[in-house]
Amino acid sequence: MLRKEQNDLLTQTGPGTPMGRMFRLNWVPALLAEELPENECPPVRVKLLSERLLAWRDTQGRYALTDEFCAHRGISLWFGRNEDNGLRCPYHGWKYDHTGQCIDVPSEPEESGFCKKIKLKSYPLIERGGILWAYMGPPELQPPPPAWEFVNVPREQTITTKRSQECNWLQALEGGIDSSHVSFLHRGDLNTDPMFKGAKGNQYNLSDSRPFFEVVESPGGLYIGARRNAENGNYYWRITQWVMPTFTMIPPRGDHCVHGHFWIPMDDENCWTWSYDYHPTRSLKESEVNAVRGGKGIHVTTIPGTFRPVQNKDNDYLVDRAAQKAGKTYSGVLGFGMQDASVQESMGPVVDRSKENLVSTDNGIIMMRHRLLRTLKAMENGETPPGIDLAHQRVRSAAVVLPPDQPFKDAAKEAMIAKPGVAPATV
Amino acid sequence: MLSESARMSSAAEARFRIDAPNSRPRTIKVIALDQPSERVIKDLAQRQWNSATFFTATAFGDAPRKGESFAGWLSDLAGRTKNLVEEINGADLVVMVAKAGENAQAASIIGEACSLKRVMTTALVLGGNSISDEVLSKTLAQLRPWSLMLVIASAEEYIADMLTALRA
Ligand code: FES
Ligand SMILES: [Fe+2]
Repeated sequence: MLRKEQNDLLTQTGPGTPMGRMFRLNWVPALLAEELPENECPPVRVKLLSERLLAWRDTQGRYALTDEFCAHRGISLWFGRNEDNGLRCPYHGWKYDHTGQCIDVPSEPEESGFCKKIKLKSYPLIERGGILWAYMGPPELQPPPPAWEFVNVPREQTITTKRSQECNWLQALEGGIDSSHVSFLHRGDLNTDPMFKGAKGNQYNLSDSRPFFEVVESPGGLYIGARRNAENGNYYWRITQWVMPTFTMIPPRGDHCVHGHFWIPMDDENCWTWSYDYHPTRSLKESEVNAVRGGKGIHVTTIPGTFRPVQNKDNDYLVDRAAQKAGKTYSGVLGFGMQDASVQESMGPVVDRSKENLVSTDNGIIMMRHRLLRTLKAMENGETPPGIDLAHQRVRSAAVVLPPDQPFKDAAKEAMIAKPGVAPATV
Repeated sequence: MLSESARMSSAAEARFRIDAPNSRPRTIKVIALDQPSERVIKDLAQRQWNSATFFTATAFGDAPRKGESFAGWLSDLAGRTKNLVEEINGADLVVMVAKAGENAQAASIIGEACSLKRVMTTALVLGGNSISDEVLSKTLAQLRPWSLMLVIASAEEYIADMLTALRA
């Protein structure tokens, strides 16, 4: 249960909000690099943290992320002409460069220098790992580029997709660290989905559907361990990483790719679900790339030309009651990604957490909220939130078999640090 | 026509969620396993709780031998002896609080009683982040067999936050 003020504090991320400030101190994924495929390509509207922005790429290939609206009379620069190192508003011809600086106001005499007085708000936008990352915080606090392993391995080892989700970012994140729903909501898919099937670890999962849980604070956020019995009195551990504010990494299965999510607020009632799959030491197979493109694993198929899932609330997520009855899917909705999104959207845009009844297995969620709230307090005293330190980003999830008395933060210490070229710990 | 899911998941519709209680208070027993945890729990007990009660198992260092009764193995914070089995009998959740590095052997007695009565157990380890893994591992070895959920927290305030989240 959260009181209304606490719920507001964690779910509101617009300009000037404390949680919005935490997001703004990080590089956040804004769009896929393929959305701006070449110099002078059409601009793309992006809404991030309740701010309407426009992403574009100028004549020299410089990325720009500027206020969406022309400073003159406020039309959307989405109609702009991307030409000669700038974006020109088609209404009265005002022109802006990639920093948002106005460089031409045709109606004013050039000598007046009027255009120097006009500048659109703009944010740094950089490419890493096929993703364009935005930094929307104070310039003096801009951190070095993201160090997440999945964006820094060679391109043939990593793939990322995004989709829109019609609910607040926090209820999506809570689903991401809630290990206890897997045995229910996703029950049908573990042994059939091409991105999961065949791993030895799956057997431990399916033979023991009531795992023991362990929640441990990590430098950047949390380790969430689910423990099941393995052979010879050992434990099979699946350790999920959460790094503040919104990065998760799901434990691997066998030699499959490792995957996880970011949930980035568009506004307080919608978010972007970013889903990555990568392998630390090998290229992705063609079959894996095809599976991702085909909406398997944690990915979904989207309506061509958009990032909206094909299964969405307008078509009741194509719920199939016969498949539900037959046990093919647990909720009637097909695919991991949409199983999660559909139940999370059904909670309403921002769920009222004063009505929930959490239980002991929800300690991962309770601890995540506790750490966010504690961090917001610490930020009032000028502290830097966890997750910005690059060491906090060089992490891995793990699936390991360990002796019964070992703390996994010790026994799996090496496995949970990303080291270039080192194979992941996985069962 | 708008699908039912689209209509029903809007903010406007969320206002019509029934505003009636959907649960009754749960009975939660919080038990300190060692002296440092007992101090933390004593502070905690000063606050307002719906249904949480606080105990200590520190006064009874020696575990009852097989066949010996659990009676009188627990005490409340005023030092009055309590019957462990009776206390656990009516509980929805037992929370054991331990300081990393302290002796947590009481966990096995409490845990056994809980598993007998089919009561859910959670263990909270305090100070686990500031102690060597070797020491922590001793505490974990004592707690793990008896805790369906185990949390290693750095801030004492976590216990209060957790109890509030559980509507204790
Ligand atoms: S059982 Fe968890 S939301 Fe209903
Ligand atoms: Fe899920």
